[in-house]
Amino acid sequence: MKVIVSRSGGMAGIRLTWEVQVEEQPDPILWTEFLNSLPWDEVTDSEATPDRFAYRIRCAPHEVVLAEQEMNGPWRDLVNRVRAANGM
Amino acid sequence: MDTLPYPLNPRLPPHCTIVPPYLLVRLAKLDGPRFAQAAAAARQSLLRDSQIRQLRGGGRPFAYSGARTLPTRTPGEFDRTISDAGGQERLPGRRVRAEGQAPGSDPAVNEAYDGLGSTQTLFWSQFGRDSVDGSGLPLDATVHYGKQYDNAFWDGERMVFGDGDGEVFNRFTISLSVIGHELTHGVTQFTANLEYRGQSGALNESISDVFGALVEQHARKQSTAEASWLIGKGLFTDQVEGEALRSMKAPGTAYNDDVLGKDPQPASMAGYVETEDDNGGVHLNSGIPNRAFFLVAESLGGNAWETPGRIWYDTLTGTGLDRRSNFAAFAAATADTAARLYGNSSTAHDAVLQAWATVGVVAASPAPALTQPTLPTPPAPAQPPE
Repeated sequence: MKVIVSRSGGMAGIRLTWEVQVEEQPDPILWTEFLNSLPWDEVTDSEATPDRFAYRIRCAPHEVVLAEQEMNGPWRDLVNRVRAANGM
Repeated sequence: MDTLPYPLNPRLPPHCTIVPPYLLVRLAKLDGPRFAQAAAAARQSLLRDSQIRQLRGGGRPFAYSGARTLPTRTPGEFDRTISDAGGQERLPGRRVRAEGQAPGSDPAVNEAYDGLGSTQTLFWSQFGRDSVDGSGLPLDATVHYGKQYDNAFWDGERMVFGDGDGEVFNRFTISLSVIGHELTHGVTQFTANLEYRGQSGALNESISDVFGALVEQHARKQSTAEASWLIGKGLFTDQVEGEALRSMKAPGTAYNDDVLGKDPQPASMAGYVETEDDNGGVHLNSGIPNRAFFLVAESLGGNAWETPGRIWYDTLTGTGLDRRSNFAAFAAATADTAARLYGNSSTAHDAVLQAWATVGVVAASPAPALTQPTLPTPPAPAQPPE
């Protein structure tokens, strides 16, 4: 299972992508439980705001796009975990 | 008179009453603690009325600006406040510099303060626009937002600047064009209010780049020939192979770095990028109208904030655009503005038509008459390579 986080937008408009292969992590069971607990079906579209980041998060079969202002709680935790796994 | 009669006593319940605006204005200006409540209540009423007038008139979105807009103020006068978020993501943060206070030791605070001033100076001195809303909205900014935050943005009411991560990005106040860019998002919000998606979003971005560049050029007294036409110069650290975020003169050439990759901006419609990311590539396809503006400036020579800036400003604030205007509509509107301001087939009008043809938004053709502002249909965008 792979998790892909793409951050686009921002004033710079530079797209950055971070990936995690769950099976290769030291705690894959915890990763899986965490991913299954995310509110994938509760994400709704929001109006874009100039120069804020947009996050596209993919983990088959799920795919959501979140505005920076919605990057709170478990979603923020997820992005931080994925970035940390990439040494960020 | 310690107790004010209803309805001016704010402690009494609100009710629908009619107080003449001139009286409210007089009350709002009252000084001294004795009248503090009445003045505050009057200012609140004026603000509410203003919002209601905006709604009734179907006008632009009204951002609450605080009571500071209402006391007597000379149009065009600076009214800046800088706050420090202290690495948190909470706004506005602690107020660290108000209008007229001397510079301190924090470069981010000083750069933000000066940058807001340079932006206000351009819009007021060249276009007669008093702040982002045209009505003297106080210019507020917050620096040191978040931890290693790689961004700056206009949140609808204030400017917000991150410090950058120190590896790829320096602090975002370091570039005057970035400050001008962000405040121009405020101007667009109060005028054409272009939808931030697809081509209208790319125009929104481009307009911010255009006036961000003009703020910098005007402050440095640089002609078109002397200017860098770079957006965000100095923003990258020395570890990045790149001059800036974007080049208006040569989109796609601002950086080419092992980590960041190559600047992906197209310079013409032949390279138009179709993507779902970045709200439909608003920071990518903005390269096309950016270059069109540069080409107009290059063709006319001199200072870009004069004739080219006037054409773009009048187009942005005029009636020729709607929220979803695309590149072709914007091209037609700028051509129409140039013809109206400088004459049909004038040098400026021809320069505008030629610029849009060069970037492929309109087909090269004889100049349309002023009564026919609709330009030829643009060629279909190419599909980008994956």
